[in-house]
Amino acid sequence: MSDISGPYPLSAEGQKRPPQPPRASDPVVLPGPTIASMTDHVCANALRERTFLWLKLALVIPCLLIVMLIVAIFWLFYAGVGIWGIDWPVVWGFAIIDYVWWIAIASGGTFISALFYLTRSEWRTSLNRIAETMTLFAAACAGINPILHLGRPWLFYWLFPFPNTMTLWPQFRSPLLWDFFAIFTYVVSSIFFWYFGLLPDLATMRDRAATRRQQIMYGVLALGFRGSGDQWRHYHVTYGVLAAIMAPLVVSVHSIVGLDFAAAATVGWHSTQFPPFFVFGALLSGLATVLLLAVPLRRLLGLEDYITGRHFDVLCKLLLVSSLCLAYSYMMEAFTSFYSSAAADRLQFIDKVTGSLAPVYWAAILLNITLPQLMWFQSLRVNQPLIMLVSFGIIIGMWCERYTIVVMSLRRTHLPSAFGNYTATFWDWATLFGTVGLFFTGILIAVRFFPMISMFEMRKLLQGRTLEGARE
Amino acid sequence: MIPVLVASFETEAALCRAVARLRAHGIRALQTYTPKALDEDEQGKSSLPKAIFIAGMLGISAGLGMETYADVISYPLDIGGRPKFSWPAFMPIAFEIGILCAVLTSFFGYLIVNRLPRLYDPIDESLSLREATRDGWVVAIRGADAHTRQRVRQILERFHPAHIEEVAA
Repeated sequence: MSDISGPYPLSAEGQKRPPQPPRASDPVVLPGPTIASMTDHVCANALRERTFLWLKLALVIPCLLIVMLIVAIFWLFYAGVGIWGIDWPVVWGFAIIDYVWWIAIASGGTFISALFYLTRSEWRTSLNRIAETMTLFAAACAGINPILHLGRPWLFYWLFPFPNTMTLWPQFRSPLLWDFFAIFTYVVSSIFFWYFGLLPDLATMRDRAATRRQQIMYGVLALGFRGSGDQWRHYHVTYGVLAAIMAPLVVSVHSIVGLDFAAAATVGWHSTQFPPFFVFGALLSGLATVLLLAVPLRRLLGLEDYITGRHFDVLCKLLLVSSLCLAYSYMMEAFTSFYSSAAADRLQFIDKVTGSLAPVYWAAILLNITLPQLMWFQSLRVNQPLIMLVSFGIIIGMWCERYTIVVMSLRRTHLPSAFGNYTATFWDWATLFGTVGLFFTGILIAVRFFPMISMFEMRKLLQGRTLEGARE
Repeated sequence: MIPVLVASFETEAALCRAVARLRAHGIRALQTYTPKALDEDEQGKSSLPKAIFIAGMLGISAGLGMETYADVISYPLDIGGRPKFSWPAFMPIAFEIGILCAVLTSFFGYLIVNRLPRLYDPIDESLSLREATRDGWVVAIRGADAHTRQRVRQILERFHPAHIEEVAA
């Protein structure tokens, strides 16, 4: 084994180093793993004969939530959207809130894996598989919401421009149709980006698989990737191009989500800042979710060597940056409400910050803007319980933000006589938590069967380190 | 049938040196199998980006064309006197269709260029190849006659390969 020739001390087989608390000054990979030991370790997590006990236990609640989601959907299809809290004038309720919330979470994963691939950031290597997996299931959770919201979901294919006997076309000038195309493209692209990035690792899994069943499963999935020179040559170029495509795609997707709102002449929505405002929010909630998954997975899968204090430090800094960008958007929202001469805008904003739903608005400010300010301190950026707390707070805060945007604008229309209110029903909550269950079930199943570290990229990192060490 | 000569090395550097020597001796029909891309692969050329770019541009044009056909020719709608050909509003969908075409071309183009999926290849019979996705560095020479194989063996031996074997193809 050549890679042992590096200058770093090796932990002998079975001999564990005492766990070190993560520090911001940690390298991207801790000294110790070689490309062989890294491969064995990451594969072993997925190739285990027996499922981890924690994984089985963790699956219980999400599976129950999925049952609830299925019941909620069946009841919805049977009884119609009247089972939800939506009515005039608040016709967009939880379905749209949850949709925007989930798609924002999804976008964050693509930011990490595509954008930071293009910047050649080494720290991305440890996190991109987790981030992409998260994107996949968050996008799936997002995608079902607008369809449920349609009222007659079985006619959703009318959104496709297909030749039909009614000679009708969808309305190409509508941001809602743009959104359909954006989400469709995004979901399909995310699946292919994830799968393409997984191909070399699936080949590794195929070659390490112990049982026939695993050999067949990973063998079929790997499609015959063998790591030949030609395969690698095309692979790296194509992966780079895909990353370069995914980065603008994700910006366009969330900007179009912003335009869903901004293009309508609704009070509080009709603002040119919505597309970037939504993209900032996407970055923040995506980073928070990656942290929320990376902290426990690092411990549970024994990835301490690959996800180090450096990763927490970088992600928390990015969290802080996106939180500040979002703060700017909140301030501009307040500013334009008063800068414009529209009385309805001003009234709506005052209602938002002082009215009956003001706690939701202030919760968003507290959780999205105030709480992440803790990340100014380096010692707090590597404090895992605190990271979890802040990230979880941001996830909740982002949901509150979407609630503020959707509900508070619709309930205060231009015409005071048309003012209304909104109360979510049990079925609204059941759908929301059902999608949360769907998300975690997906993540846990992926953790069970797929390598959670991008092994072929990690090899590059480890090999580079060994060569550097040998040269010195 | 001409057997495939498969040699595996313990280090990337040894493989690269051996391959360079083989090439210097005029043996071109060789293929490396490695756990990560070699530097030469990473900097290698590929025709895929061009194909992806063309597919993306075609997708954008086709999307724009479809929207124009729908709103100008097939079913024009006068909405408050707005122009029938309102191209700025057509751009987002055209862009997304272009992206979708590019992504699908990347993935399926990659499979086509590499003639995948190919679940079985005679070279899979080689024991060294299973290590090539972990930390084995393998080179395979196909279609060489007995004399050439002998010569290749002699060259490779100088670089101390971990294994040399011949696999029936």
